Amino acid sequence: MTAGDANGPRVAVVLGSGSVKCAAALGLLKVLKREGIGVDMIVGCSGGSLYAALIALGHEVEEAEAMTRRLWTRELTSRRNHRSLLSVFLPGIFGFDESFGMVDDGLILRRLLDAFGTSTFADAKIPLYLTATDFHTGEQVVFESGPIVDAIRASIAIPYIFRPWPAGGRMLVDGFMSDPMPVGVAIRQGANVIVTMGFESPYQHKINSPLRFAFQLSSITSNNLLKSNFAFHNLAHHAEILPILPEFADRIHLFDTDKIPYVIQEGERAAERQVPYLRRLLGRG
Amino acid sequence: MEITTLQRGSITVIAIAGSIDGMTATTLVTSFREQVAGGNVRIVSDFAAVEYTSSAGLRALLETVKETRQQGGDLRLAAVQPDVLRVLELSGFTHILKLFPDVEAAVASFPA
Repeated sequence: MTAGDANGPRVAVVLGSGSVKCAAALGLLKVLKREGIGVDMIVGCSGGSLYAALIALGHEVEEAEAMTRRLWTRELTSRRNHRSLLSVFLPGIFGFDESFGMVDDGLILRRLLDAFGTSTFADAKIPLYLTATDFHTGEQVVFESGPIVDAIRASIAIPYIFRPWPAGGRMLVDGFMSDPMPVGVAIRQGANVIVTMGFESPYQHKINSPLRFAFQLSSITSNNLLKSNFAFHNLAHHAEILPILPEFADRIHLFDTDKIPYVIQEGERAAERQVPYLRRLLGRG
Repeated sequence: MEITTLQRGSITVIAIAGSIDGMTATTLVTSFREQVAGGNVRIVSDFAAVEYTSSAGLRALLETVKETRQQGGDLRLAAVQPDVLRVLELSGFTHILKLFPDVEAAVASFPA
């Protein structure tokens, strides 16, 4: 991925939430590279934050895919956070507080450190912005400096699953809770052409546990938030927003990393459909 | 993008072919504005051959739907194709625009 043309429109790539589906961003990356289309900034949120960071740090598609497959596996949620779970039923004894999360987050943190080490935003080859949400105020928080691991960990703090992450004196939860597709960050940073990819949260097929009940409510809220924010950003932006919307014939679950090649392929296919227009917009068609 | 306009009684049918985007939206807005200025505020836009709409296209639609409704008319869409429908749904436009499966149904939806 190359930086944008200093004399042309400022191009942003915005990667929203969507867990494994966000790997479709690597398909988009392949197309942009093949077409020689440079990018001036990358914005990521939730699952999209992983790919935004990988792309901004200059990882190639194959490398980024392999890193994701090592990082994002079902094992991540296999160790329960027993203290948190007990605090639900016995808050007087175990002390329920804002650090609630059902899963022990030690493994995800170790894997993020394995993948990104001590990289900071200053190491990004393309300006990078990652978003999370302030647990206490609901405000969107945009990371643009400091350790990348901190920002990703905050951005993927899936409610109920991973405990909120303390950073910069705030408690932060998943970026999707303030904006599942943070196009507004790119607008604020002066982007003209905004290529965006994001996904609606899946609805539960069956509500057979309190967690699924909670996830269903979360999906309803976040999907409506996605649409209302996207509508506002489309109407507010002075230039162009191009949504890249891959279609998946199969349902993609949270840890379906074996489907990543398929997801990338669909991302590539969806991006290819927009190439002629993108080229014309950038004066290269 | 190609625009074809024809009159069906009091309804103006504007058929669009191609993409509605930053390069073409101005042409479409001009066409819509001409109709509204001429008092044709009951408009059906035939989207059967619209391949894509971007944010510029959405802004063009919003401007026209506001203008027509302010003057007692409406802009209604017909035969919206799946790719365009996904953008309209994602941006919440399906909540504010009336969509119909074909031009006939859209024309018939206006009171006589």
